[in-house]
Amino acid sequence: MTDALVVTGLNKRFGGLRAVQDVSFTVKQNETVALIGPNGAGKTTSFHLITGFHRADSGSVLAFGQEVVGLKPHDVCALGLARTFQVAKPFGAMTVLANVMTGAFLRDRHVIAAREKAREAIDFVGLAAREQTPAKDLTTIDQRRLEMARALATQPRILLLDEVMAGLNPAEIDQAVALVGKLSQRGLTIVIVEHVMRAIMAVARHIVVLDHGQKIAEGAPKEIVENPEVIRAYLGSGYAGAGGGAHA
Amino acid sequence: MGKDADNTSKWQVAALATLGMILLLLPQLVSNGFALDIFIRILLFSFIGVAWNLMGGYAKQLSLGHVAYFGLGAYTSTIMQIDFNISPWIGMIAGGFVAMLASLPVGWLCFRLRGPYFTIATIATAQALMLIFLKFRDFAWGAEGTTIPNLGSSPLMMQFETKASYYYVVLGLLVLGLVITWRIERSWMGYYLVAIGEDEDAAEAIGVNAPRIKRHIYMISAFLTALAGTFYVQYIYFIDPATAFSFNISIEAALVSIVGGIGTLWGPVVGTVLLETTSALLQSWLGSSTGGIQLTVYSLILMAIILWRPTGLMGLFNDLWQRHLDRRPARMRTLP
Repeated sequence: MTDALVVTGLNKRFGGLRAVQDVSFTVKQNETVALIGPNGAGKTTSFHLITGFHRADSGSVLAFGQEVVGLKPHDVCALGLARTFQVAKPFGAMTVLANVMTGAFLRDRHVIAAREKAREAIDFVGLAAREQTPAKDLTTIDQRRLEMARALATQPRILLLDEVMAGLNPAEIDQAVALVGKLSQRGLTIVIVEHVMRAIMAVARHIVVLDHGQKIAEGAPKEIVENPEVIRAYLGSGYAGAGGGAHA
Repeated sequence: MGKDADNTSKWQVAALATLGMILLLLPQLVSNGFALDIFIRILLFSFIGVAWNLMGGYAKQLSLGHVAYFGLGAYTSTIMQIDFNISPWIGMIAGGFVAMLASLPVGWLCFRLRGPYFTIATIATAQALMLIFLKFRDFAWGAEGTTIPNLGSSPLMMQFETKASYYYVVLGLLVLGLVITWRIERSWMGYYLVAIGEDEDAAEAIGVNAPRIKRHIYMISAFLTALAGTFYVQYIYFIDPATAFSFNISIEAALVSIVGGIGTLWGPVVGTVLLETTSALLQSWLGSSTGGIQLTVYSLILMAIILWRPTGLMGLFNDLWQRHLDRRPARMRTLP
């Protein structure tokens, strides 16, 4: 398998705070990788660095062999890296369809073609019944679905999902897990930041653990949940192996 | 549902045709110069509002310095006419391009700022331009300004004997502005503009080059605003910095759009009709009584609209129309 995303020696400082220190990891094509760690570990900052919202102080991010550090977010997206936001950012005044069409215009400027592409993405995430609803009237899970549909409409090769399951109830988490699985089956490479351990165990093939901006562990889910360092920093001693409950 | 949409668009076409007929016939029916003058003002400010709305309404980039382009358009065509004897029709287009060029550095500077800082920067730019035209006398008559030579009836020099002719010119401008807005609204650019107005980060994340789109719409908006500037000085036969760069024009452009409904095709027109007629009527009813009373009533109306209808009058119309559709018995909506 080829490498889809290669992050090497990524650093970012905010004043005195070293938000991300020398983080490196590799995501293979069509693999789902989870980024976990306590709040403030640098997960979302890493996403911002990869997608161009922050500029890395040093380090490199190669997406399919192409350097993305220094590019603007819209250029990163054009290269095929789409992301969602931790706090959903729907275009509230627009309908669901218009939101997703806006994403589709990246690859095709024709309204009719974009509408078709958008409908496909809306169908895929299961929002077809809400097509004409203004985005601001959606429930939390539907807003997350919308974010995913909008990102999908840009026809990415790598999808970065930032806490798409936060605030969902257990049934909704199951739906979201199924959706991420479906995306992976479609051939997408996925990087997911998440706190819901149950979901991570279900979707991730590989886990990267961050703490205080540094990578403290990396490996298959089974190894990670037994790693003493990870248990100390993040999971807590109550987390007895795989298959446990959701981490709050 | 499909039937409803069909009916709605049929209604729209019918309403548009009727409105068009009325607007075309109006100068033939109304011979009163004062009334015609008000109609011309309404059309002119509708047009300026439409130009402002492209950027201020759809992309929500609140500019309070659009008079910069109004003034540049006015001065370009006037200088070309008086110094080089070039027809204002050509000067008008030239003014549009001057405004477009001027919008590039202004946009480059101002779009680095977001929110209120952007707005302040636009005001400052317009004020600076006014001062330049005020201080550099050799360049453009300084503070005294100049009258535009009256050639009698000379359509090629944009001078007409009847007010009706001016009415048709500005009506043409408004139609141009509305057609451009309509085309943009329905294209990818319209979606991108609204997306930028809603959430610039989210727009960037799905591939929207926000700075570039903002620059482009600013250029289009500046071009159209400059056309209004040329028309206005030709209509009043006079230009000076205080008129051509009047802060009131910037305010009015934003105000008519906000009252009518920003980011809607007809918002600026509806807003102008309401504000201009109210202000003219109040002026004639109350203008002679206690000083300033008509302005007080005017501002009360403004406050009422902004407090109760922050989406503007178009929002109100849409709500009422929606309520009307919902209230009809269900069978009327499902019958073939």
